[in-house]
Amino acid sequence: MPGATSKEGGCTEMRRRNLYFVYPLIVFILLVLLFPFFVMVSTALKPLEEVYATPPHWIPRTIRWANFSDIWVKYPMGAYFKNSFIVALGATLVNMAFCIPAAYAVARLRFRSKSFIMYLILVVQMFSPIIVVISLFKIIARLGLLNTLLSLILTNSVFTLTFSIWLLGGYFRNVPKEIEEAALIDGCTRLQAIVRVLLPVAMPGVVTTIIYTFITAWNEFMFALTFIQSMDKRPLTLGLYNFIGRWTVQWQYLMAAALLALLPVVILFFFIERELVHGLAGGAVKG
Amino acid sequence: MQKGKFWKTESGLAFFFLLPACVFLLLFMFYPIVYVILMSFFKVNKLGDLVSFSGLANFRFMFDRPEFWQIIVRSCVWTASAVAVKTGIGLVIALLLNVDFRGRKVARSLVIIPWASSVPISAMIWQWTYNNDFGLLNHTLRTLRIFGEPPIWLAEPRPAFFANLWVDIWCGIPFMALVFLAGLQAIPQELYEAAEVDGATPFAKFRFVTLPLLSSVLTVATLLSILWTFNDFNVIYVLTGGGPGTSTDILITYIYKYAFQYLRFGPAAAMAVITFVILLTVSILYARSYFKGGGVY
Repeated sequence: MPGATSKEGGCTEMRRRNLYFVYPLIVFILLVLLFPFFVMVSTALKPLEEVYATPPHWIPRTIRWANFSDIWVKYPMGAYFKNSFIVALGATLVNMAFCIPAAYAVARLRFRSKSFIMYLILVVQMFSPIIVVISLFKIIARLGLLNTLLSLILTNSVFTLTFSIWLLGGYFRNVPKEIEEAALIDGCTRLQAIVRVLLPVAMPGVVTTIIYTFITAWNEFMFALTFIQSMDKRPLTLGLYNFIGRWTVQWQYLMAAALLALLPVVILFFFIERELVHGLAGGAVKG
Repeated sequence: MQKGKFWKTESGLAFFFLLPACVFLLLFMFYPIVYVILMSFFKVNKLGDLVSFSGLANFRFMFDRPEFWQIIVRSCVWTASAVAVKTGIGLVIALLLNVDFRGRKVARSLVIIPWASSVPISAMIWQWTYNNDFGLLNHTLRTLRIFGEPPIWLAEPRPAFFANLWVDIWCGIPFMALVFLAGLQAIPQELYEAAEVDGATPFAKFRFVTLPLLSSVLTVATLLSILWTFNDFNVIYVLTGGGPGTSTDILITYIYKYAFQYLRFGPAAAMAVITFVILLTVSILYARSYFKGGGVY
């Protein structure tokens, strides 16, 4: 897969001609795609007067770094970050506890109606949480979990579970069976073979699945909007959304907070994007 | 005796390993689905409790409102146009990134960022960008003289619809570009060389080599995109909340509005069931083409 086209350049003259339209097009596309991030960074650095200047300035004339420290004082950013972190971490742990054995079963073991189960997993993975949020609200209320972080941990781990099984199962299948069998012959139990042999070898897959679940839970908005009422329980997405619902939106603060909220997950995302593409689109893109 | 044996077999072990995940999914995904279906056939009070069986009354209630049909049509237009644009732009980007140029890796990484970013937070950034007086979008459009007087994006129904649509498209482009790029890179180079020997023009190469070999990727990605676009709650909820009025609502946001703003859980459940049927159909198509394209398992 890497550099499939780089070998193509038999005719450098033609390639050079190609580049005349490739560069301008790519630059134009990137400008369009990254425009809102430019707006975010620019606004996050502006003092209040400049945020509400007409016409607006593309680049702040004076840079106000204090926006980044103010948000921790003026808004409960610390609580938002903490809540998001608890939810994302909790969802990841719950998810992995259910996902690892299930992924092992679908990857390694033969059992009846397996293909049906795999089919079901793939179909279920596409369901929108909105379909069930009405009844889930009732269920969460009956369990006495409204306005708790636990409600978000549970719902986020459920809605990431099917894709996690899918993703991790794919990794387990790619680990040669012989490694485990050797461990079994050496007197390991099945569980020991999984924990001591399979998991370390499939570690990249485990990490990918963990990052996927963590990011999804970190970015989740709708469940938080529905289940959480009190200010101190809000995760970042909901907390930031509530910046807007006020009389005056302090956009420089919202943008500074958005920047801080986005940074960790955007970086994490780069570790898993290839696996996501392959997991979602299947064999057709496996180079 | 019999039981002891069962645990030792492979299917016994598989059962044991799958059980926790299945119970978890049954409790928090399948049971809620059944409950919603139940709700849709019942009169439901404002607390969400089932009061009495009402047959198809909830469905009839929705079908009798012209607004509902408008929203069905809008959801279809929304999905079809957004998916078409995402596919088109995604394909163009993939073809560009498949050309060997300096800085290609950097460009690829930069293209990913909108996908890597959290959708609700992106929508908040866009909301500010769309601001008529202080937002940089209209300022840029005015300065570049693309629009003499650009619309106040989020205030009027039609511009608001396009504003929402664009943010949804913007979020969805990177995935399409990356999938198509991976698909392009899986095409064996020999095929292009063979076509070149036969004197094929670049367009002919695209039409007779690239497109046919990309078709399975195109199908899977398009179906996925249909599902995601149809389900896009975050963008619309954050940007306009379906407003002004219900003029930018699609089925998914309308369900939420009916349930949690109007507290009419019965009709909301009826719409959720309709949505469920639509999504199930598309999901099955997706699963089929996934396995047909040589997917795992």
